[in-house]
This record gives sequence, C-alpha cells and structure tokens, in this order.
Amino acid sequence: MTTPSLGVRLDGRRLRLGAAARPLLPAGAYYAVFFAIPMASLFVLSFWRAKGFDLVPDVSLVNYEKIATSPLYHALLVRTVAIGLITSLIVVPIAFTLSYLMRFVFERWAQLILQLALISLFSGYLVRIYAWRTILGKQGLLNSTLEWLGIIDQPLEFLIYSNFATIITLTGLLIPLAVLPIYSSMANISRDHLEVARDLGSKRTHLVRTILVPMALPGIRTAFAFSFLLAAGDFVTPSLVGGTQGIMIGNVIADQFRGIGSNWPLGGALAFVTMALVLVIYFAVIRAIRWVTTW
Amino acid sequence: MVRANRPGVFAIGYLAAVLLLLYAPVVVIVLFSFADSPRLSLPIEGLTLDWYRNAFDNPLMGVAVRNSLILAVVSAVGCGTLGAAFAFGIVKMKRARLRGALLGASLLPAVVPLLVIGISLAVFFSALGLHQSLRNAAFGHILVCLPFVILTMNARLETFDFSVLEAARDLGASPFRAFRDITFPLIRPSILGAGLLAAALSLDEFVVTWFNIGSQQTLPVLVWGLMRRGIDPSINAVASVLMITMVALVIGSSLYGRRRR
Repeated sequence: MTTPSLGVRLDGRRLRLGAAARPLLPAGAYYAVFFAIPMASLFVLSFWRAKGFDLVPDVSLVNYEKIATSPLYHALLVRTVAIGLITSLIVVPIAFTLSYLMRFVFERWAQLILQLALISLFSGYLVRIYAWRTILGKQGLLNSTLEWLGIIDQPLEFLIYSNFATIITLTGLLIPLAVLPIYSSMANISRDHLEVARDLGSKRTHLVRTILVPMALPGIRTAFAFSFLLAAGDFVTPSLVGGTQGIMIGNVIADQFRGIGSNWPLGGALAFVTMALVLVIYFAVIRAIRWVTTW
Repeated sequence: MVRANRPGVFAIGYLAAVLLLLYAPVVVIVLFSFADSPRLSLPIEGLTLDWYRNAFDNPLMGVAVRNSLILAVVSAVGCGTLGAAFAFGIVKMKRARLRGALLGASLLPAVVPLLVIGISLAVFFSALGLHQSLRNAAFGHILVCLPFVILTMNARLETFDFSVLEAARDLGASPFRAFRDITFPLIRPSILGAGLLAAALSLDEFVVTWFNIGSQQTLPVLVWGLMRRGIDPSINAVASVLMITMVALVIGSSLYGRRRR
C-alpha cells in the first residue's frame, strides 16, 4: 500500500517543481539569448580571421598567436592586471574598514551610510570619471588649492593623465560596490565573537586575521571579484584620465570594435585572454587570503 | 573589552575621508555647472545659468533626451517583469542550495566587464544581420540592469508571506485570481521600486550602449562625445541634470521598497 502512495506523491512533487520553475523561464531565456549565445559567438569569432573589412570564418589560432608573441600586448596585459590589482588592493581594505566601522562603531548610522554609498553609485559613471579630471587637472582644484596654500609652487604633473589618476578614479568608482557585500557579510559577526577572542588574549591584528576576515570572507571575495574584474575591464577611465601612456587592454579591445582599422576577431581573442588571466589571478589571490587567515 | 560605542577621532575622520572620496566628484560637477568662468578652478567668481542654456541649445540634446527616456522605460518595464518573475520563482524554492546557485547565475552579467558584454552583443546582432540601433541598445540595457533588479527583488521578497497565497488557493481561488488579487498587490511596491532602479541604471549606461547604438544618441553618449572634445562647462550642466534624475529615481526606489514593512 505504501508504494503507490509514494509514487503519487513523487509525481505530485515533480509536477510542483515544474510549475515552480515556470517564473524562472522568461529571465532564463533572456539570459540564454542575450548573454550566453553572444558570449559564445564572441568566443567562436575569436578563432576567425579579419581580412581587410571582411571576416573569414576559420578555426585558427592566429589571433591568439599574435597576442602570445607581441611584446606590446604583453606590456598592456601586465599594466592592466597591475592597475586592477592595485586598485582592488586599495578598494577592498578601505571597504572592509568602513564596513567594520559601520557594523561596530557607527551602528546607528549604518543604514544612512549604506544609502549614501548606494546613491554615490548612481551619481553617474561617466560624470564621476570626468569630475576627477577637473579635480586632478594641471590647473585643477587640487593643484590650484595646494598652490594657493603655498604648499607647492609648481603644479604636480603626475596627478592627471597618469596611472595614478586612473587608480584614484577607479577607487572612487568601486568603493560603494565593495562596501555592499562586505558589510552584509559582517552582519553575522557579533560583538560577542570579538569580546570572547579579546578576553582570551587576542591582539587586535590577530583578531582581524583570525576572526573578522575569515567570517567576512564571502563578502570580501565578492568585493574583490567586483573591483578587480571591473577595474581590469574598464576602458573609459584610462581614456579620460590615464593619458597617452596610460592606456589599458580595454582601450585596445574597444578600438578593435569602434576604431579605425578595427579587427573584431582579434578584439574577441584579447577579451578572452584578459578574462582568463584575470580569473587565474583572482583565484590565486583568494587562495592566498585563505592561507594567510588559517595558518 | 571591545571598544564601546563612542566613535573615536580616527573613526570619524576615516568616515569623512571615504565620503569625501565618494562625493567630491559630485560636488565639483554641480558647483562648476553654475560657475561663471569657463576655467575650472577656484575661486568661483560669479554664478550663471549659461551652461544649462548652452547645453539645451545643443541640437543633439533633444534626440538624446528622447532616446534615453525610451531606454529607461523599456528597461524599467522589461527588467520589472522578467526580474520580478525570476525573483518570485527563486524565493519560493525550498532548496537553499538551488536557490543560491540560481541567484548566483543570474548575477553573472554584473561581474563580466561591460566592455565584453557590449562587444559580444555587437557580434551577436551583426551575425543576425540586425544593424546597430536604439533597439539593439535596448536589449543590452535590459540585460545589464536585470542582475541588479533580481538582487533587490530577491532581498525584498524574502519577507513575503506565502501562506496568504496558499490560503487564497485553499479557499478556491484560481492561480490567476490569486496572483491578481493577492500576490500582485502585495509585491507591487517592490516591482515599482525595482523598475525605478532599472530606469536609473539605464539612464547611466554608456559602455554597452556605445557598442550597439550605432550613430544614435543617448545622454551618456552625448556627454562622452563632449568630453572627448575637451573641457566644456556645459558637460557639467548635462551631468548635473542627469545625476539629479538618477538620484531621485534611486531614492524613490528605496522608499517604495520600504513602504510595506
């Protein structure tokens, strides 16, 4: 008697699962058509060849070979990864400290600070980059203020059209994105955790390394992924504040699609090489963080 | 003892420094949109509305505003429906693992650089023979706004009480009727909030737009063109208007989400 009823129940559950999945279908289909298939097409295209203005279907590694053998692309990839890493290594600790303060010091103001961070995220991507040009420019706000105060008598040239400008600008753009995940992952750390550790004689640095960082690790990981991937993939910031010497791989990729002498297959190959490189380094850094926090 | 509640000088200074980093650009843009001299440096000598007049005299401005509004509405409606259905679907799931995996997958487009999304869509549309246009850009806008809409909808629907729905069904309401009379009125503020968020994201979208819109204009595309040409104070005016609109949408969005709690 039990077997048939079990069968019916299983059947019913399967039916319910089917009905439950139905609301997921429209967005799922949208992702398939406008995200998965385009990414796959870009990947396939990266094995084609460009001949003048024509694209020649092929299964050739010519674009990847070009990237592997060109010192120019190597230098650009190294600079891109370096700028991405430096930016995220500034952004994540700043966001971590801010989240700590929001969680344990400014508890009452935490929601307001979070809203302020969120609002700054919506004050315009292009606009915020452009604003840094006004602030850091040769006759910009910072230089003219420092001159007026008598701290410098020559404008500081490195402030604008430099890697410095790119990193500062990206830092300002990415901090809000890093604060959201880190703060929400700190929600499950209670004051008691810290007090117990403190009572057992933990020093402050030890406390950060063995309790705060490991417990907030999911948020830190997301924040690092956001800041590293988005910084390494940005081309607007370097082209507005990075100067001629400061271009990143994103600028070269963008030029392959909307520039003179464009080459879509090469641009596709560059995009996938960059993403693969960035992912490998991402996992290595996450490994390193985990190793440091558990030794 | 862990330090008590009172914030120290360091904590306050730190908070102020981070907020300065986030808001200095905003303040600078708004300030200089009213500044008299075209040189962007202090001190500001006089105030003027000329840059706003300049900006709106630009013949491309009307088209740009129209296109930006079309994209914002399309994103709000598209993401509002797709995102609400998806978030509703995963919140109802009982298996936490599956729910987490689906939520994670739906956030993927937010982690892929916009540049890569932009060029992959350009390749896709060109393979289909669809010329770059406002329509192509609109498909891109829905894609890049969707993860954020799903994320916020998911957070808001987590508090949704499904027993109300079951009660309605037990009392004999059809699934459609239960949705129309019970579910929808309850989640409507969340959907509206998510729609406003999508509109704000869409107004700000530049990268994916740029690779897919061809020779058409939107506000960010227009601003980009002006920026490339050099320093032009009317950029500050357009930017201020855009910024205030987006911030208003975001504040509206978070107010809508909160109303029912």
